[in-house]
Amino acid sequence: MLISEFLLLGAVLFCIGVYGVIVRKNAVLVLMSIELILNSVNINLLAFSLKYNDISGQTFALYIIAVAAAEVGVGLALVLLIYRNKRNISLDELSEMKG
Amino acid sequence: MNNFPILTALVLVPAAGALVVALMSKRHPDIVKLAGVGFSVVTGALSIWVLGKFHTGGDGSFQLVSQHSWIKQWGIGWHLGIDGISLFLVVLTGILFPIALLGSDSHHDIKPYTAWILLLEAGVMGSFLSLDLFLFFVFFEIVLVPMYFLIGGWGYDKRVYAALKFFIYTMLGSAFMLVGILTTVFLAKAQLGHITFDLVELQKASFAVSTGRWLFLAFAIAFAVKVPIFPFHTWLPDAHTQAPTAGSVLLAGVMLKLGTYGLLRFSFGLFPEATRYFRPLFLTLGVIGILYGAIVATMQKDLKRVVAYSSVAHMGFIVLGAFAFTGQAVSGSVLQMINHGVSTGALFLLVGMISERRHTREISQLKGLQSVAPIFAGVFTLVMLSSIGVPGLNGFVGEFMILIGTFLTARWWTVVAAAGVILAALYLLWAYQRVFHGQPDEANKTFSELKLKEALVLAPLLGIIVFTGVYPKPMLDRIQPAVNKLVQHVDYPQPQSPIAAAEGGQ
Amino acid sequence: MLSTLLASDVVAPFSSPKIDYHALAPELVLAGVIVAVLLADLFLEESKKWVLSTIAGFGLLAAFIPIVTLAVSGHRARSMFGGAYVVDTYSLLVKGIFLLAGYVVVLLSQNYLEEGDYYQGEYYFLLLSSILGMVMMGSSRDLVTIFVSLEFLSIPAYMLAAWRKRDLKSNEAGTKYYLLGVFASAVMLYGMSLLYGDTGTTILKGIGAKLQNGSMSPVAVLGIVFVIIGFAFKVSAVPFHNWAPDTYQGAPTPITAFLSVASKAAGFVALINLIYVAFPHGGDVFQPMIGVMAASTMTLGNVMALRQTNIVRMLAYSSISQGGFILMPLAVAGGKSSGNALTAIVTYLAVYAATNLGLFAVIIAVSRKTRSGEVSSWGGLFSYAPLLGVLATAFLASLAGIPPLGGWVAKFGAFRAVITSGTNWGYALAIVGAVNSVIAFGYYGSLMREIWMKPVPDGDTAPIRTPSSLNAALMICGGATLALGVVPGIILRFSDIIKL
Repeated sequence: MLISEFLLLGAVLFCIGVYGVIVRKNAVLVLMSIELILNSVNINLLAFSLKYNDISGQTFALYIIAVAAAEVGVGLALVLLIYRNKRNISLDELSEMKG
Repeated sequence: MNNFPILTALVLVPAAGALVVALMSKRHPDIVKLAGVGFSVVTGALSIWVLGKFHTGGDGSFQLVSQHSWIKQWGIGWHLGIDGISLFLVVLTGILFPIALLGSDSHHDIKPYTAWILLLEAGVMGSFLSLDLFLFFVFFEIVLVPMYFLIGGWGYDKRVYAALKFFIYTMLGSAFMLVGILTTVFLAKAQLGHITFDLVELQKASFAVSTGRWLFLAFAIAFAVKVPIFPFHTWLPDAHTQAPTAGSVLLAGVMLKLGTYGLLRFSFGLFPEATRYFRPLFLTLGVIGILYGAIVATMQKDLKRVVAYSSVAHMGFIVLGAFAFTGQAVSGSVLQMINHGVSTGALFLLVGMISERRHTREISQLKGLQSVAPIFAGVFTLVMLSSIGVPGLNGFVGEFMILIGTFLTARWWTVVAAAGVILAALYLLWAYQRVFHGQPDEANKTFSELKLKEALVLAPLLGIIVFTGVYPKPMLDRIQPAVNKLVQHVDYPQPQSPIAAAEGGQ
Repeated sequence: MLSTLLASDVVAPFSSPKIDYHALAPELVLAGVIVAVLLADLFLEESKKWVLSTIAGFGLLAAFIPIVTLAVSGHRARSMFGGAYVVDTYSLLVKGIFLLAGYVVVLLSQNYLEEGDYYQGEYYFLLLSSILGMVMMGSSRDLVTIFVSLEFLSIPAYMLAAWRKRDLKSNEAGTKYYLLGVFASAVMLYGMSLLYGDTGTTILKGIGAKLQNGSMSPVAVLGIVFVIIGFAFKVSAVPFHNWAPDTYQGAPTPITAFLSVASKAAGFVALINLIYVAFPHGGDVFQPMIGVMAASTMTLGNVMALRQTNIVRMLAYSSISQGGFILMPLAVAGGKSSGNALTAIVTYLAVYAATNLGLFAVIIAVSRKTRSGEVSSWGGLFSYAPLLGVLATAFLASLAGIPPLGGWVAKFGAFRAVITSGTNWGYALAIVGAVNSVIAFGYYGSLMREIWMKPVPDGDTAPIRTPSSLNAALMICGGATLALGVVPGIILRFSDIIKL
């Protein structure tokens, strides 16, 4: 089994995703980076599911896909809200409150 | 009436009073004040009843015990009891609260003021009566809150700062005590087999030497802040100066005693080995407190600060006597707690009256009061002499017993401490001289004489001062059995009496 | 074709799992109420929308009934779906806390929403959904169930935080909460995938059986660390707390109350489930981590709170610091004081819920008059609103841990847990906690000082009129705070017997 290759891919995707969340300032790009992390999780789960020949990993992945869709829906709605009020979606400029 | 839970009533009556006063309408300040005084007088009467029911002699064990389970899961109970060490402190509390309520004026918001004072009384009573470590801690903490609000709400200019300083200091101390209490209880659980916060049961457990010393320190910090023992005293002058008169009276009269009482009851009771180990440290700190308080008191410009620093010195004496570990010195310590409460309480009342009349407490602003208010000056003199420790008045009995008792086991400390007696005479007499002697100037000419109401408020305190000074035996008879038991418990090698030693040497 | 496929024995014949409807009744009732709110919202005229809050409130109370019947039914534990969903005394207790806290939040929201003209139907729908997620979290004993419950409770909360659509602060609150929340759950999921990879199961009990101290693979260690980090965000533990102050300040005040109490409690419940069932032998990994987090959380939260001038923001930091106290017993879970730690956390959550919700009720009531969130706006509160002043003082004193109010019971339990662990580590934590409870008085005391000792701003001493729902919330929280402090037995008799 090529399990370690899958895990490596997952780890690389995870790192890219975390890097993106930390570095990117555009809300939509941050959302996409988070999607990358979620996909790395899915790859991990599927790989392990095959390794153990156990279906729960795949079930888990399906749940993640479904929930991620809902999450992105909410996220885009929030970004849209900010865009309407500010004409801008840069996270750096979101600093109404301090302290 | 034999089954009447009188100690529980001592705690609950003022607490109920606080509640009742809090629920009253604030439109009738007179009725509010009347209710407040009423509840505190009832508490005072109850404390006198306790004095009457107290069985003199015996083996010094706890009397009038009231014990109920409160939080079973944690072994916490409502366990109250009284012995010779706490008896007179309870009576003092009972007497001093109505006096403080009557002898001072809140000037504004009398309703919360009265309610806080009654809650304070409940807390103080609870602290003196609790035989359950946790219950004690609860009351010990409750006491802080009303005092914080009394200082902060009804005090002088810098009251908010003083209130916070007071609160943070004492609460920091008790934070360590909480950790100490819990650790004590859980370590004792291994030996006793069940979890309990009961002081009497916990005394059966013994701790490893180093553990016991750490735990002793955790308790001692809380009490040392409260006493206050040098170098934890810095909150005291601020709190006293800024507090309203009643606050100062109660702070000096009963709250400081929580510290020394706590040392005797809990630190000595639970960790005798550590108490012996730390004895030189506390004797030294006590002596430093005596000298430091006296020297700083001489330099104060504010009359109230003079009295505040004199408290530091007096409390130093009490600590010195407590750590001498002889029956005589510890009894003297307990007696001196009462004496200090009475005489310093009275001094603060008098200073409060001066400041009410003149709106200043600056010594330099006051002059020649003796010629315009001779009775006032006379009363002040009597109280002051009691505080100095002049023979025939109560202060002498306590200080003398402390010095004699301490001399047997800690000679050099006593020698230095005796100098403090002289200094006390110096700073009080000097202050008296500047305030009362000489010719009054314009501002002081109108200083009015002691009013009848004021005289009546002070009368019980003056009575105690003279009575104790002339005939302390009834008090000592009740104090001594419990003290002897405590001294035995601490188990410090007792000296032979000097006469016996001298005879043995011949 | 299809029939042969179905008949082939590649696919095991499907047997429907046994469902214990009694055990699921709270969730089912809640789900029914959610649908009812949604439907009612469709058909109600704008002027009758107040009915929705009534439905929501009574629905939450109705869901509480099966909790009582389950508690008295005598079954110790009802396990469903192969151990993925367990209803036991512990889960019943936390579900009860969630439902009652939710009820108080509904009371707090009622006038806030009606006067602000916000979207009531959607609001209560989302609020109830979030509460349903929390109730499910109490029973979740499987990675998938935990994940689903977590998202169920979080996603509506993101929207609620951004509820005031036109207000940029509220937008910011929601967005920050959302981004960090989603990121945290992604990190947590990665950790879960590693745990699954190491043990081959998603059932917590199965994971617990496989993970043993000393013989843990690096993959599992990494998994535990990631999962705990994910929930550290949820409970706003330092260094993952950055979102909390902004979100709390920007969100509508009832939602802030909800987030700081219920949502945080849900995070702790999830942590308890994971640590007690899945990692009971992983103390070497999580104890130091949580210990350091607890100490730094309470310290940093306190120090930051001291500097705040906005009440809600101050309470945000206060709630971070209280979170540190709740974490403290978790740092010794797995050792010999495991049971004490569990009791301590659940007790703390209950007391904290009553106290903090009460304090937020006071804030909502006072800001109805002052329209300000500054600490100075509370000046002289006692003189013109004595009842609110006294209640606020009681709640603050309870948060500070002053007996006889509930807070001391909570702190006591936490200290008991770390001290009975008998490790130097536990004593050190206890001392850090003790010192912190004093620092905390610095800012709780400053609020009390405003209430009692400072002058009324602008001399405006018009009394505050509180609507009846707010009064009810105040009385419930005030009564609970006092009762828990004076007779701690009412919560201890439950929290002492729970086991995991």
